[in-house]
Amino acid sequence: MALTLDIVTPERRVLSVAADEVRAPGVAGGFGIRLNHEPFMTALEPGRLTYVEGGREHHYAVGGGFLQVADNRVIVLADTAEAAADIDVERAKRAFDEAQDRLLRLTEQDGHYAEESARVRRAAARLSVAGR
Amino acid sequence: MPSLRDIRNRIGSVKSTRQITKAMKMVSAAKLRRAQDAILKTRPYAQLLEQTLARVAARAAADEVVAHPLLAPRVQHTAEVVVITSDRGLAGGFNSNIARRTQRFLVENTDRFERVQLATVGRKGRDFFRARKVEVRKDFTGVNAALTYEKAEDLAREYTERYLSGEVDAVFLAYNEFKSAISQKPVVFQLLPIETAPGADASGAAIDFKYEPSREGLLRDLLPRHVAMQVWRALLESAASEHGARMSAMESATKNAEEMIASLTLQYNRARQAYVTKELMEIVSGAEALK
Repeated sequence: MALTLDIVTPERRVLSVAADEVRAPGVAGGFGIRLNHEPFMTALEPGRLTYVEGGREHHYAVGGGFLQVADNRVIVLADTAEAAADIDVERAKRAFDEAQDRLLRLTEQDGHYAEESARVRRAAARLSVAGR
Repeated sequence: MPSLRDIRNRIGSVKSTRQITKAMKMVSAAKLRRAQDAILKTRPYAQLLEQTLARVAARAAADEVVAHPLLAPRVQHTAEVVVITSDRGLAGGFNSNIARRTQRFLVENTDRFERVQLATVGRKGRDFFRARKVEVRKDFTGVNAALTYEKAEDLAREYTERYLSGEVDAVFLAYNEFKSAISQKPVVFQLLPIETAPGADASGAAIDFKYEPSREGLLRDLLPRHVAMQVWRALLESAASEHGARMSAMESATKNAEEMIASLTLQYNRARQAYVTKELMEIVSGAEALK
């Protein structure tokens, strides 16, 4: 008996696997899910999502979204999701630098500030997941 | 009567046209397959998002949900229609159908809104309205060129913000709905306020979720994604429709070219036969004269 984990994004189904444990970056802090977790629904921050299967850890960079668990079924609705191995570190670094540059030119009053800062956080999450 | 050479040249030119339309048809067929595939790939997310929305909404009291500004209809002064067309032509009635559908919508709704603005995605739509001196408030060029969810998200965010700030009171998407490779249906869909309130999901209602940050907070985060998803779906459907329409248009163009080649070839052969007969007659009568 194990959890089933589904990660879907608007562009495709990223993952559908069995997992022993799932760790995710919730808006109220990171959390882990194991068998028979209570029904739970949360918004996700951009960050690292990890699942453990047969003692092996698999890492994904998610760009925010939602996670729900009920009846040992974990469903992640991610805005973006990439396996750590698929991320090009060089490009992730460049994207992060560019996003940061753009953000630095804005003031907090700017209408696009929230949007751009979310972009920076997403880029940072990708970079940190790729780095390992 | 056209000379033999004239007919031969025409046959040659129709043949090369046929080659082009045939190639375009095949390219469109390949693109159509990819576009259809992209639509299918969005299904899991779309379904789960709707399910999640329904679960969250089911737990909220009815008035609580309606109270969300994206769901609450209000007095509608200004509306905006986003017309989704293609960048390229030669797609049969694809672009003119949706442009005409939009014009009809404008006529039908003159009483409902004080003002209806237009925005266009795709060059053909922009050109259509410009040529008719209809003001286009904003032109989203480059969205079609490389379709990504991020672009749909940006467009959705822009309209959500304008809606929330009170700049527009209703937003519509006019696009070609993809029915099948040979059939597209021009539709005008209300994007904002969200019309179809997420229905209560019976299976989800039974589960007592713990929510983080809160149910209202989740609803606030989920609804903009719902809007983005609608835009994304419309863009993908329009892309699939475009390739389907072009494929059928090129298919019939190829068929027409073939018919033309057949009739020209017939004409050519007759003309040649007449020429040969005439030559023979001349030779025979020349020989007769020498006797």
